[in-house]
Amino acid sequence: MTGVEGAVVGRPLTEAELVERAKRGDQDAYGDLVHAYQGIAFRTAYLLTGSAAEAEDAAQDAFVKAYYALGRFRKGAELRPWLLRIVANEARNRRRSAGRRTHLALRAAADPLSGGAAPSPEANLIASEQQETLLAAVNALPEEQREVVACRYFLELSEEETAETLGLKKGTVKSRLSRGLDRLREELGDD
Amino acid sequence: MTELERALLAVGQNLEVPTAPELTGAVRARLAEGQRPRLVSRRALVVALAVLAVAVGAVLAVPQARSTVKDWLGIGNVTIRYVEKLPPVEQATADLGLGEQMSLEEARERAGFQVRVPTVDGLDDPPKVFYNDQSSQVAFLYGSEDKPKLLITQADARGAIDKIVNLNVTERDLVVVEPGYAGVWLYGAKHAIFYPSTDHEEPFRLVGNALVYEIDGVTLRLEAEISKDEALRIARSMR
Repeated sequence: MTGVEGAVVGRPLTEAELVERAKRGDQDAYGDLVHAYQGIAFRTAYLLTGSAAEAEDAAQDAFVKAYYALGRFRKGAELRPWLLRIVANEARNRRRSAGRRTHLALRAAADPLSGGAAPSPEANLIASEQQETLLAAVNALPEEQREVVACRYFLELSEEETAETLGLKKGTVKSRLSRGLDRLREELGDD
Repeated sequence: MTELERALLAVGQNLEVPTAPELTGAVRARLAEGQRPRLVSRRALVVALAVLAVAVGAVLAVPQARSTVKDWLGIGNVTIRYVEKLPPVEQATADLGLGEQMSLEEARERAGFQVRVPTVDGLDDPPKVFYNDQSSQVAFLYGSEDKPKLLITQADARGAIDKIVNLNVTERDLVVVEPGYAGVWLYGAKHAIFYPSTDHEEPFRLVGNALVYEIDGVTLRLEAEISKDEALRIARSMR
């Protein structure tokens, strides 16, 4: 094998190459994409449904739907928000069918330390009691605002990605976020 | 970044989120078997509507809670909400937000999902076909945009989530469109409709009777001043 061949054959496929192969029916390539995005897909679905079982079903169905919709995925577009939009639609439909609100909770106090990963500076910044209060206020937000807040701060998506994921215009994301943050400040008595 | 935003990031990092399951094997198995996405079962919709009826009944008994009812029913990509008073529609518009007009073949190509056409005589050759790229929606328009006689829209899972705000005097019936596929017939008072492609929070236009249902992962909506039986006849003829 020449150096050039080795470089070409041994190089991992890029995401764009995997997408192109998957579009042609290569299910191995699509499997690699599922593997790469299953974590964020499940987290997205969980934040929108509040149920591990529903999140798993939503993410799995979304990946199957996305495979059949790949023909409409534009070359050069960002795959992550495109996939997350399908996941979000699946998750929201399940939440609505179940007719209940999503209630998110914090990890037990000991977990962050026992889980292996060191808490980030941000995570250490605020006392757990204050975090509980803030999360309760987020849980109480109107659904439209809560979804945008969850995407921006709990999934750490950009405004553009949040807009694509929730099927909104960027201006709508900005206005909902602004209203949501205002409401949180009011709830927390932080004027 | 404000202090509140930093605090929200901290909360996000400490959220209780179960470990993500391994999905690759299950997804690949379903693809290998040629399985399409799971369908919303009629039973699931019936249960959802039953829960909904109870929820609406309970809320209506507490007047001050009416305005807080939100997201109480989702059918495919459509969310239906009850509010005490419809928000104002800013101005009448002939723009139905249908997107680009094109041939049926091209719309099918662009949509990528199974686009159904009514086989009822007189409707089997939609005179105007549109595709809205932003909402991934195919529309058949019979009549003109300013005076539509019948509007049929279809969108798949990636499509926009329309939001219908339904005045509580508007009636709704659970209907079975086909065995295994249920939907909702909205009639009586007009209801307001939103499209997510607008930045405005105000409704986009007012709609009279409409049948909303999901079949094989595609959400269909028929709008026309016709009877429920006629709407169902058209829906059941869609192939």
